[in-house]
Amino acid sequence: MRAVLLPLLLAAALVAPGSPAPAQPAVSEADVKAAFLYNFTKFVDWPQPVLAEGSELKICVLGEDPFGRTLQALTQEEVGGHRLKLIHLSSPSNLTACHVLFISRSEKDRLPRILEALGDAPVLTVGDTQGFVDQGGIINFLLEGSKVRFEINQEDAERVGIKISSKLLALARRVKGRP
Amino acid sequence: MPLRNVPIRQKLMLIALLTTGGTLLLAGLALIFFNVKRFKEEMRDDLTTLAQIVAQNSTAAIAFKDKTVATDTLNALSARKPIVAAAFYDEGGKLLAQYQRNPGMRFPSQPRSDGATFVVGGLDVFRHVELDGKRIGTFYLRSDLSELTSRIKVQAITVGAVFLASGLAALFLSSGLQRLVSGPILDLSETARAVSERQDYSLRARKRGNDELGRLVDAFNQMLVQIQERDSALQTAKEELERRVEERTRELARRNEELHQSNKELDDFAYIASHDLKEPLRGIHNFSNFLLEDYAEKLDDEGRSKLETLMRLTRRMESLIDSLLHFSRLGRVDLAMDRVDLNEIVAEVVDSLAITLKEEGIEVRVPQPLPKVRADRARVGEIFANLVVNAMKYNDKPQKWIEIGVTPNGSSGKGSTPVFYVRDNGIGIPEKHHDAVFRIFKRLHGREKFGGGTGAGLTIVKKIVERHHGRIWLESAAGEGTTFYFTLQEET
Repeated sequence: MRAVLLPLLLAAALVAPGSPAPAQPAVSEADVKAAFLYNFTKFVDWPQPVLAEGSELKICVLGEDPFGRTLQALTQEEVGGHRLKLIHLSSPSNLTACHVLFISRSEKDRLPRILEALGDAPVLTVGDTQGFVDQGGIINFLLEGSKVRFEINQEDAERVGIKISSKLLALARRVKGRP
Repeated sequence: MPLRNVPIRQKLMLIALLTTGGTLLLAGLALIFFNVKRFKEEMRDDLTTLAQIVAQNSTAAIAFKDKTVATDTLNALSARKPIVAAAFYDEGGKLLAQYQRNPGMRFPSQPRSDGATFVVGGLDVFRHVELDGKRIGTFYLRSDLSELTSRIKVQAITVGAVFLASGLAALFLSSGLQRLVSGPILDLSETARAVSERQDYSLRARKRGNDELGRLVDAFNQMLVQIQERDSALQTAKEELERRVEERTRELARRNEELHQSNKELDDFAYIASHDLKEPLRGIHNFSNFLLEDYAEKLDDEGRSKLETLMRLTRRMESLIDSLLHFSRLGRVDLAMDRVDLNEIVAEVVDSLAITLKEEGIEVRVPQPLPKVRADRARVGEIFANLVVNAMKYNDKPQKWIEIGVTPNGSSGKGSTPVFYVRDNGIGIPEKHHDAVFRIFKRLHGREKFGGGTGAGLTIVKKIVERHHGRIWLESAAGEGTTFYFTLQEET
């Protein structure tokens, strides 16, 4: 199931707008974002004590989960020797146990408080909210036309000790704190 | 000009040039070949490495399907001139991003497995893009072979230049060095030519070294020495021979002159002697006659008989002296050469002897007309008269005949000199006497047998024939007849 689904999802994730593929099932924006979220883990390094070798890599979704089954399926994979674990959080508690924290749009109003609670914890925060990066979030989804892009807050990533691959940075439409 | 006729100098240079050219060409081609091979390997390694780097650096762009960034990455490859096209395929094998230097490129519809493959006009390199142990796409790039061709071109030009320079060097060196070989050969050939042209065997070829050519020159010179020796020996022998021939000729001329002189003296002597002998003989005859007329009755029969014998002997003596005189005159006087019709002469001779011929019942035959010749008319008449008289005399057959004729080529069978003959069916002459018949006063029979005679006839005939530069000989079978042949001119 996994082996079939993943390539399909990835293939479907970003179809060039100029080359329609009517035979393929429509890929939703949420599916793409789920795939992105999954792929971010591959270009990010956490400090050793936070993510020990062989330990689980926890992906937390705070608030309303926009991804549904797609992310569920993706987190069956392993990344860099770490099993992925998807954790749904309904309240901002115990956030520092997460490695990746997706903060849903539903939490828009509580965002400053959530980020403050995280402090200097090495948590890769991913948002889908305008101004997320400027408020201290690390990666924020953007839409460029119909395409999903993202921006990165390098400044705060460094501050909390998360190392983002230059390859990923190269894809960011904006990098905050790039020297 | 066929190669075998090309001068040896050029042959040697040709050999040097072809050898140099051939080896250089081979070396050059091998160099180019291995360089091209190495360059292709380098190119393959280089582009494989490049593909690896690009693939590694593009993981994020592929993972996030960022066509813009992927395209930017590909466009960056334009800095590398030989790369004419590049593309990313996603993990499903679909083109994600592409770059081409010139439009019109057809990208492979499906990515292939990793590796670099030379195709027509280019090199295709595929490299999978891997992220976290998973294949997420493929990088493809195509390089053209412009660097390869330009490198081949540069090498070809270099090899060509080296080829040309070495060719010139070889030409220069071989034109000098070929003299080592061609020099002695040309010398030898020139000497041989001079020797055969001028017949000068004192010439020698110049020896330059002790190699095979040197030995050839030695052998050649040795041969010349031998030829020179033989030539000079031959020359000496020839001169000696000439000298001896000259000596002999002189000797012969001297002898001839002596012979001539003694002949003449003999003729003179015969003439004078016979002339002077005649007078006392006449006296003896006259006085014998007086004796016989005036004292006949005083002599007895025996005395008369002896006196008559004396007179007969003096007459015989006279006729002998006349013959001798006649003979000696033949050697002294010049011939009155004229164009003579032999038919007339023969007719005259036969006429003068007509009575005797009739009495004896001898038939004279002339089977074919005789030619006209240049001769002394009177002397030729004498020849025929003597031969006919001889033929008449020495015949004891009941049916006697004499044949006078000419054989165009003679019985001797050579030349065109007419050979005349007088043939009879008489008693014949034994072969041992064939030479003797021509001796003066030589008679083969008794004095009175066959009508007598002085025995000078054939001697005179022979003399006349010889004065005409002719020849006389005979064929005879005892008891069957005799044929006298003669010519009246030098035989040709």
